[in-house]
Amino acid sequence: MNFKKLCTPLDHRISRRQWLGGVAGTTAGALGLCQPGLAQELRRRRKQVLFVWLEGGLSQLESWDPKPNTLFGGPFRAIPTTVPGIHISELWPRTAQQMRHLAVIRSLHTQDNNHSSGVGRIQRGDPANRGVTYPYFGSAVANLLGPGESGLPPYIWVKPGSGGFVTSDAGFLGPRYGALALGGGRAPENLLRADSVSEEDDRERLALRQLADRRYVQQRRTQGTEANSYVYDMAAQLQRHAHLFNSTTLPARDLERYGPSEFGRHMLLGRRLLEAGVTFVKVDSHGWDTHGDNFNGHSNAVPKIDQAFSAMMQDLADRSMLDNVLVVLMSEFGRTPRINGHIGRDHWAEGWSLVMAGSGIRRGVVVGRTNALGTFVEGDEHDIGHLFHTWFTALGINPSRTRYNNAGQPLPIAHEDMEPIRALLA
Amino acid sequence: MRIVISICGIWLFAQAGLAQESLHRQVDALILANAKGKTFSGSADDAEYLRRVYLDFAGRIPSATEARRFLDSKEVDRRTKLLDALLAGPEYAASMEGHFHVMLMERLGDHADWKKYLQRSFADNKPWDELVREILAAGPQEKAPGAAFFLSKRLENYGANPVDYPALTRDIGRLFLGKDFRCAQCHDHLTIKDYKQHDFQGLFVFVKNVSLSTAKTTTPGVTEKPTTAKIEFSSVFGGDKVQTGPRVPGLKEIAIPTLKKGEEYVEKPDVKQQKPGVLKFSTLAALSEQLPTPANQAFNRNIVNRLWFVLMGRGLVHPLDLDHGDNPPSHPEVLDLLAKEFVAHKYDIKWLVRELALTQTYQRSSQLPPLVKNAKPEEFRTALERRMSAEQLLRSMLQATGMTEVKAAKGVPTFDTMSPTFVKAFASEPREPEEEFSPTLKATLFLLNDKSVLSWLEAQPGNLLDRLGREIDNRKAVEELYLSVLTRLPGIDEAADAVRYLDERKGRRPVALRNLAWALFASTEFCVNH
Amino acid sequence: MKDEKMQSFILHPSSLILFFKVGTMTAQAQAPANRFEPRQGPTVNLDCQLGTVRYSPCGRFLAAGAYDATVRRWEVTDAGFTAMPSLTGHRGWVQALAFHPDRRRLFTADSWGEVRSWTYAERQAPPVRTMAAAHDGWIRDLAISPDGRLLATCGRDQKVRLWSIEDGRKLHELTEHNDDVFSVAFHPDGRSLVSGDLHGNVKQWDVANGRKMREFACRPLFFNAANFEQNVGGVRRLVFDAQGRTLACAGSRARTGGNVQGHPTALLFDWASGQLRHTLVVGDGADGYMYDVAFHATGFLMGVTSGNPGTGKFFFIRPGEQTPFFLSTRMTNCQSLAVHPNGTRLVVAATNAGSNGNGRPLRNGVYAANMSPLHVWDLPAS
Repeated sequence: MNFKKLCTPLDHRISRRQWLGGVAGTTAGALGLCQPGLAQELRRRRKQVLFVWLEGGLSQLESWDPKPNTLFGGPFRAIPTTVPGIHISELWPRTAQQMRHLAVIRSLHTQDNNHSSGVGRIQRGDPANRGVTYPYFGSAVANLLGPGESGLPPYIWVKPGSGGFVTSDAGFLGPRYGALALGGGRAPENLLRADSVSEEDDRERLALRQLADRRYVQQRRTQGTEANSYVYDMAAQLQRHAHLFNSTTLPARDLERYGPSEFGRHMLLGRRLLEAGVTFVKVDSHGWDTHGDNFNGHSNAVPKIDQAFSAMMQDLADRSMLDNVLVVLMSEFGRTPRINGHIGRDHWAEGWSLVMAGSGIRRGVVVGRTNALGTFVEGDEHDIGHLFHTWFTALGINPSRTRYNNAGQPLPIAHEDMEPIRALLA
Repeated sequence: MRIVISICGIWLFAQAGLAQESLHRQVDALILANAKGKTFSGSADDAEYLRRVYLDFAGRIPSATEARRFLDSKEVDRRTKLLDALLAGPEYAASMEGHFHVMLMERLGDHADWKKYLQRSFADNKPWDELVREILAAGPQEKAPGAAFFLSKRLENYGANPVDYPALTRDIGRLFLGKDFRCAQCHDHLTIKDYKQHDFQGLFVFVKNVSLSTAKTTTPGVTEKPTTAKIEFSSVFGGDKVQTGPRVPGLKEIAIPTLKKGEEYVEKPDVKQQKPGVLKFSTLAALSEQLPTPANQAFNRNIVNRLWFVLMGRGLVHPLDLDHGDNPPSHPEVLDLLAKEFVAHKYDIKWLVRELALTQTYQRSSQLPPLVKNAKPEEFRTALERRMSAEQLLRSMLQATGMTEVKAAKGVPTFDTMSPTFVKAFASEPREPEEEFSPTLKATLFLLNDKSVLSWLEAQPGNLLDRLGREIDNRKAVEELYLSVLTRLPGIDEAADAVRYLDERKGRRPVALRNLAWALFASTEFCVNH
Repeated sequence: MKDEKMQSFILHPSSLILFFKVGTMTAQAQAPANRFEPRQGPTVNLDCQLGTVRYSPCGRFLAAGAYDATVRRWEVTDAGFTAMPSLTGHRGWVQALAFHPDRRRLFTADSWGEVRSWTYAERQAPPVRTMAAAHDGWIRDLAISPDGRLLATCGRDQKVRLWSIEDGRKLHELTEHNDDVFSVAFHPDGRSLVSGDLHGNVKQWDVANGRKMREFACRPLFFNAANFEQNVGGVRRLVFDAQGRTLACAGSRARTGGNVQGHPTALLFDWASGQLRHTLVVGDGADGYMYDVAFHATGFLMGVTSGNPGTGKFFFIRPGEQTPFFLSTRMTNCQSLAVHPNGTRLVVAATNAGSNGNGRPLRNGVYAANMSPLHVWDLPAS
């Protein structure tokens, strides 16, 4: 045997098989990144999601449902937007310029006022209890839309703090639909080749590993070695995309546009991942639980979100990506109308707002309303289940006909007593 | 050939009802009969057996020295002798603790007292019914500190989420009765006619008044409030309200004694003294008395099925927690026989695992019989590749890399210091049973690039790479490497390839040795118990 | 330390209905007995939340800026406070107000960028002057020079502005903060202005030419939790002692975002040297901001803090000492402290108890707002 031959680069096939873990199917896709024309065409038709999560609760009164100069309105003004008649808080001047792309819903009434239980309930779409743990929206979309042909995991989560493989998001779908979390926008742990291993050594050791497996599997069941080769292929694939996770190579001009905040950098990384074809990109921002000093908190934190979010909307629109990318910006609930003694607002799930845009979503509209003081919803109330129906529909997935298959048990993908909010759909 | 004939003979004896034949022979006969003439894999060779039996009963692969000693032995009964030595050896208790910790806690958490409790129990060869009695009664603390962890970990809550009593109820059903009543919480199971809502609710009554102990101690503990009434439930699909008191599925409901308010305790709880009090009627005590008993067939079937899974890689009932009429065992007679004999031997765990390890079924090769492409796993004609736990992998890597021989110092890894890292890299998420080999991207990246593991493959005085580096004969170095990592000598082609690989890299032999070693560690052969 | 049974009076501002409440007040005094032991008097309940409350220089009026865009007024008599009609016309919150030394005019500013002046003693008092766009948005603070010629304002638009009170002309725009500016104060000599921002930078300006003269570093008053977009802190109040020898910069040495918990803190600088002399800390790290402070004529610092969630502190502390020699935790979430010109009476704007939570259950079907009671304290003349 000639070992020189062993030391060729691994073949660059793109696999359709599932990411992150577990033994998976056997089909290997045929489409490589070497066919950019076709890849772009496919990318154009594929649906993707950008999910911006403000951990804690964004105040609806300091964002999408301002009630200036009223009892609970807070100190801020409302400003006009590019859509006549729609006003939002003055803290969002740049997003106001993007309103023609956005849909606002002001009639949310969700069910949980607590963080620890509320985050899961909201991100799982709060379905009827069947004794199973439902997947988070990202895992749900990863399962329903698949990874596409990007060669990247379908669910990538850019977040502050630590990263890793967050399989718990996947619930009953199983670990392979979990999130690859880029903590602090950094590459996954152990992705980059250790300094002590040269490129040549890396090639050699992988080739020797394959050789060992080929010998071992002779006259054995093949499932184990196949599963092992599969994850090594995935590792190699991810390593080939390592440049995507390197935030030091983000374009300086764009960095300036997205702003100097960590969130700005993470959103720009998110744009790069969407452009690379990742199905579901979640970007988190922390520090939105303003029980104390709510107005100063929003005063200095919102501009960071405003800058990056508006730049992202502009870029998605300029790149014609809004037809295929569903964008949602939300937190787990709103904040109380009443202002407490340490000038904060507490948790409020009974009348709050969020914005969305892109694939399948009507543009430049406001749906639902609260009363004059902003305390309660007037007219139809909407729960997170309605939004899951709306978002699945916007992604071309029929939520009333599509079922998960949980080891033979068919399960609805969204609360079956609810339906899409038609006024939000294009 | 000789073996097959003898097995056939035994099979005839067994059929004739000569039950005094040892259990392992009876089992083999039944497995053989079930195969209806299909071919079986041959016996594992000494090296394969050696590795398997070390992993199962010492929790690690053998050292090169231990391997040489066994492989050089010419004794006819060397396998049984080795097995008995390991069963009596100092690592048996920790290896069994490993199997049962993963099985019972499903990576929900870890506690030093719990591990100590399990290890002591296996060291004493505590009967399974007694072990379960202590786990379900959460102690008593003085006698069995740590036993409460099974309950207490499941009684913790996170933030505003309520304690997940339904999950605790399900886990008791799954892990001690082999029945997952998950979907029977709100209605009779839709697809499993044996699983009734009544079963779930009856089991639920045992635990619904139990909560985490507030006593300020690091030892896990639970407390219990009086249970004074039955619960009432109805199906979410409608229907009449039904009542149940505490009832172990398949057994009789336990009557709740009528006690006046204020008279529920033999000894009232004392918050200041941190005394939980003693109830006149404790549902936990009732559960621990009723569930682990010979009369409870589900209890007996569950444990022998789970021990079979531990050593054979697949349950006779599969999945392990779906024992019901429409999911019959692959070998009903084997399951019945094991259950009956285990009870007859007073739940003697060491006896049962020894009998199982003595079967030909256990000792078969994982190589398929000639011309057979795939053998159904439930036929047990070929040994199954089993998942290695994070703990087994760590112990084996420390052993194989020779890091166990490096003088203890800061930075030199030990099982205790590296355990959390390996659990993070290789264990499943909480409540994901670790039942099959399921490599993950996370674990792969860890093996590829984790700096600590890579450093074990740098020469350090006394470790594997140090030994290999000092062995100037490449052929001998390759033999040492294979024996240390894969517990076998290289085949002729393997040795030739590896020697050539080293010969071609004379100028950089240390990294070449490291590359070879790494490749073996990352191979499927190393990563499974085959 | 002693416990003292006492009564507080809850006084409705318009109808003068008295409620009686019995409670226990804890006053801490170090031996020898504290000769500045304030006694709590009546409480005036309002229907709104207040930003700042101040006595007029003559001591006959009390004015407070409210979050409902009004300026509340009371005539102060021996019998108590008599409410006067609120001054209306602002929009947004009124957090900043200052009385002109002419004893005629009151200057107020709102969160929509507007400054107004009023002849406050008149029962019906239309604004004398309105500066509709003094800032872009939230005006955090304003101050009037001792000679009454200059008005200083600062706000969220990162600007500090000096105005001529005579004609409303903008004299100087002080742009160096590049940060949300929370507080301004004139030195008693009238030649300098200080301004403090979110990140804890305090700058001294020459009012004659608008040039920056010095900086005082109050970085401990800024906090940013790792990975949090929310910035916390700021120099919330700048106060000089009467002689202009000491500058107090008050805020919080926060240790969390979200709830914002920390040590209410005042940094005391020696004006002549610019050196930090004392760091005065109140509480054990579970409180909010030191929202308002004032120097007593004898040199100690009086102040109020917000709590977290339901507590609040009213304290007297001597520079150089570790703990307050007077501390009351009876009032919840104190926002402002007004000192009568003769020094014998103090008014604390606080918050009703139970102001946290989601506001449920509703009261008579109404989702109720919180409000700021005014607590009156008497301080015996030394």
